[in-house]
Amino acid sequence: MQVEKDDILRIIDTIKKASSYDFTDYSEKSFARRIEKILIDTKLDIEGLIKQLKSSKEFLEHIVKEITVNTTELFRDPKMWHTIKYRILPRFQEQDTINIWHAGCSTGQEVYSMSILLNEMNMLDKCNIFASDLNLDALEIAKRGEYKYRFNVEYIDNFNKVIRQNPYNFEEVIDIPFTKYFDIDLTKDLLKAKPILKQKPIYRKQDLVREDNVFYTKFDIIFCRNVLIYFNYDLQNRIFENFHKNLFNKGTLILGIHESMLGPVSSKYIKKGMYYLKK
Amino acid sequence: MAQKYVIIGGSAGSFQVVTQILSALPANYDLPIFLCLHRLKHIRTGFIEALSIKSMLPIVEPDDKEHIRSGTIYLAPANYHMYIELGNTIALSTEPSINHSRPSIDLSFISASYSYKEKLIGIILSGANKDGAQGLKAVKESGGIAVVQSPDECQVKTMTMAAIKATQVDHILNTQQIIDFLKKLN
Ligand SMILES: C[S@@+](CC[C@H](N)C(=O)[O-])C[C@H]1O[C@@H](n2cnc3c(N)ncnc32)[C@H](O)[C@@H]1O
Repeated sequence: MQVEKDDILRIIDTIKKASSYDFTDYSEKSFARRIEKILIDTKLDIEGLIKQLKSSKEFLEHIVKEITVNTTELFRDPKMWHTIKYRILPRFQEQDTINIWHAGCSTGQEVYSMSILLNEMNMLDKCNIFASDLNLDALEIAKRGEYKYRFNVEYIDNFNKVIRQNPYNFEEVIDIPFTKYFDIDLTKDLLKAKPILKQKPIYRKQDLVREDNVFYTKFDIIFCRNVLIYFNYDLQNRIFENFHKNLFNKGTLILGIHESMLGPVSSKYIKKGMYYLKK
Repeated sequence: MAQKYVIIGGSAGSFQVVTQILSALPANYDLPIFLCLHRLKHIRTGFIEALSIKSMLPIVEPDDKEHIRSGTIYLAPANYHMYIELGNTIALSTEPSINHSRPSIDLSFISASYSYKEKLIGIILSGANKDGAQGLKAVKESGGIAVVQSPDECQVKTMTMAAIKATQVDHILNTQQIIDFLKKLN
């Protein structure tokens, strides 16, 4: 099913008028694909969808959640985590406190990954960890820290790559088992994050489109991976400006490995291979 | 900008074929080529390096919103869907797998056929599932050319058979014929 541009604009307009959500500057094609999927799942046509969005607040909230893409995994893209481990974190070793923000943390796997890494480097205690997302359901899962085991065996592969191997020294094998951080409950088919990973993070709902910073502090490291691919250039640029404002000097911005900063704002950052530094 | 675009989809048994094709194309090959290949979960990296050794053309795993250039080969990054959009740009997404595949060949082919219509050549190679069949159908329906590797030559023929069943393909070719066909387009 192909949704026409006019229909997309009408849906965006309806949501905007009925709520605080504004999808105007989402990437048009990916927004259209989400709507196409929603039409199939709800068995509604465009008119039906618009009517329901207008009449039910609850339905609207549900649809907003469906529009967001929440896929994530533990240590997604191990290469990036090696960079964090061997290139980024060592710079903070001497610092007394480290403020970290995961913007668009989805169901929390990125937050847990970072906490594991920090703990292995004996840096977790001095960190303040903040995490936000637009999708409240995702945040609830993040707080709980329980994930299906069966469909997520690659979590353990990724963990082994990032935590047990040293890409700069293949002979080094670090003997730390996955179960140091997650309980594996086979009867319930669950991976459960251990308490040590749950003490630090503070989760809050935040809409990056209209809220700059809901934590009222500046950050040393901001993660925003695989969130901005769903936004258009203009909105991306606005968000990069906002991150710039909320980073400490020389603060680090980490994007998804296939995202890059385009446009004028890039002159305010220094690109360092897989990450950015505030100038 | 090039007049034509090539998109290739493959899965199990296609790596050798892709390597042969890429190594046979001359350094002045002008058409952009999009590669959407399933990879085994544990070999997510090293893939592009392996392909690059044999190719005279630059191979990149594109970033989101990257502009498409002539004479460049775009390999769908592991774990992302790759869309080819109007305005000659690439879009990536992490939406869930489709038919157990991310990248999904269907999604790449469908988006490219929407953007390039009759300027697109779609090619389906060896593979063990049915991803790509709907994509090749979209290529054909948008006026593009639908090519399938000869199932007899495929290490695993499920994917090519599914594509042949789903649409009236223009050519069924073996690897050498695919190479000759691509060279003629330049
Ligand atoms: C693909 S997930 C990324 C998860 C994680 N960062 C990673 O890379 O694995 C994208 C997340 O961005 C969130 N998101 C989308 N629009 C947003 C907005 N306007 N404000 C905050 N979060 C948003 C979605 O709810 C979703 O959880």
